[in-house]
Amino acid sequence: MPCLFVSWRLRVPLSITNIRRFIKTAASQCNDKEESGTTGEKEKGGRMPKHVAIILDGNRRWAEKRGLGPSQGQEAGARTVMENVKDYFSMGINTVSLFAFSTENWGRPGDEVKYIMDMFEKIVKSEMPNLRRYGVKVSVIGKRTNIPEPLLHLIGEAEEATKNNKEKQLIVALDYSGKFDILQACKSLAEMAKNGLINVEDIDENLMDKELMTSCSEFPNPDLLIRTSGEQRISNFYLWQSAYTELYFPSVLWPDFGGAEYFEALDWYQKRQRRFGLRV
Amino acid sequence: MDSNEPMLLLSSRIGQIGDLGLDLLWRFLHIVVSLFHIVSGIFEAIQSYAISLGLIQKYSSIDIEKLRCLAVVLDIEVARDVAKVVELLQWLKTIGVKQVGLFDSQGLLKKSKDMILEMVPGSMLLQETGEKDISPDRKEGIVIEFISSSDNKEAVVKAANILLQRQLKTSHPEKDEGDNVFTESHLNEALRVVGENVHVPDLMLVYGPVRSHLGFPAWRLRYTEIVHMGSLKYMRYGSLLKAIHKFTGVRQNYGKSFSPLTWI
Repeated sequence: MPCLFVSWRLRVPLSITNIRRFIKTAASQCNDKEESGTTGEKEKGGRMPKHVAIILDGNRRWAEKRGLGPSQGQEAGARTVMENVKDYFSMGINTVSLFAFSTENWGRPGDEVKYIMDMFEKIVKSEMPNLRRYGVKVSVIGKRTNIPEPLLHLIGEAEEATKNNKEKQLIVALDYSGKFDILQACKSLAEMAKNGLINVEDIDENLMDKELMTSCSEFPNPDLLIRTSGEQRISNFYLWQSAYTELYFPSVLWPDFGGAEYFEALDWYQKRQRRFGLRV
Repeated sequence: MDSNEPMLLLSSRIGQIGDLGLDLLWRFLHIVVSLFHIVSGIFEAIQSYAISLGLIQKYSSIDIEKLRCLAVVLDIEVARDVAKVVELLQWLKTIGVKQVGLFDSQGLLKKSKDMILEMVPGSMLLQETGEKDISPDRKEGIVIEFISSSDNKEAVVKAANILLQRQLKTSHPEKDEGDNVFTESHLNEALRVVGENVHVPDLMLVYGPVRSHLGFPAWRLRYTEIVHMGSLKYMRYGSLLKAIHKFTGVRQNYGKSFSPLTWI
């Protein structure tokens, strides 16, 4: 009865996840009235991340637990992205990065890699109308040299079609390596110096920042990095950009990481005291 | 209109009672969950002491050889407590850790390095050892490296400048030799020239309120396990042992698949 009353009063569907979220929020709720407030008030208070990065880990383990094949795990992971992508930008979040495929992943069996690339093609084709409707700018970062031509073509079309969207940006890291990102930035600066566009002595961290692949975003450095499946490492993702990023490692596997888990991560982020290396 | 007023008043009263009820329920749940957290905190403390006393068998033997290089990241507030840092290093030495990189963004520990090395018997500075000294066969002592933010982006920029100078001086500037100069191994070499260590820590322990690596050298972080340990002031030997033991059980695929399952 209390749960029904709560559900009716709060106008939320009665479900285990919502009750769980309710309980966790109750446990962490601060009594100070200034800290509570509507979503808009919290957004204005600047306590929401502007850029959330997610490492989508756990698809194969999810499939193994259910006695399914790895391809079904990858499909379940893809469905999770498609079902939740519009929720990622709620509460004032401007940029969301998804670590979809790392350079090291090319070392997987050939048929698995082909399956994943074909799946990416299907996702881009099916989700493009939705992303355009939501006003999301799509940017794909990574090497691109080994990506199949049809997929490259689709990526180009998606980037072109959404380039004028400003308020929300989805960055998909495909064939991405944090080390390669740093190297290509160094190489880019070298080219600029060779061509006389900059002086060697002008090369500093700010110039490096501008040459990294994340310079496509207004908020290149993630405030929050989520890696699902309980693994506690960043695995060559955003090495340079993550100096002051809050790291959140939930144990849930990626296909099970839905809206409730995402909001839990944001709630966790709100309670962090960020100092950016300075003394408070 | 007048006949609606009592209804509106009733509705408003019901709403107020409902809000009060919800508030009470909220606070009750808050108490329940807070109690849960207190109980689990007490349990963790007890477990930690049991581990320290060697009462839990599985933590008695740790395959420390898997941990070739440990990084300890300290928030600048906790880095000021040098006594606690020394205590941590002594614990790590007792456990058998051979190499530790101590990082704080502002370089406070670098300034206190002489004092720290003096207070930890058998410790030596990384720069004073050769590569051959950091080997599994080295029985005694601990090698300490002091790192700060200047060893991160600033160092990479300096290394990039070295590579750039090399490229500009190349004997065939008309050829595009960018790919040959800007590789991982070249940048590693350039970082060594600048005086940086390029060893990748296997495990990173973060002490302080933030769950971030706080600007630890990015180039070295690729597959490092990152564990947040909480406050240095209230650190426990048992928790340290537990974190290291957990690390030794971690299996990394490095992005590849080693699953025996047939791909369907």
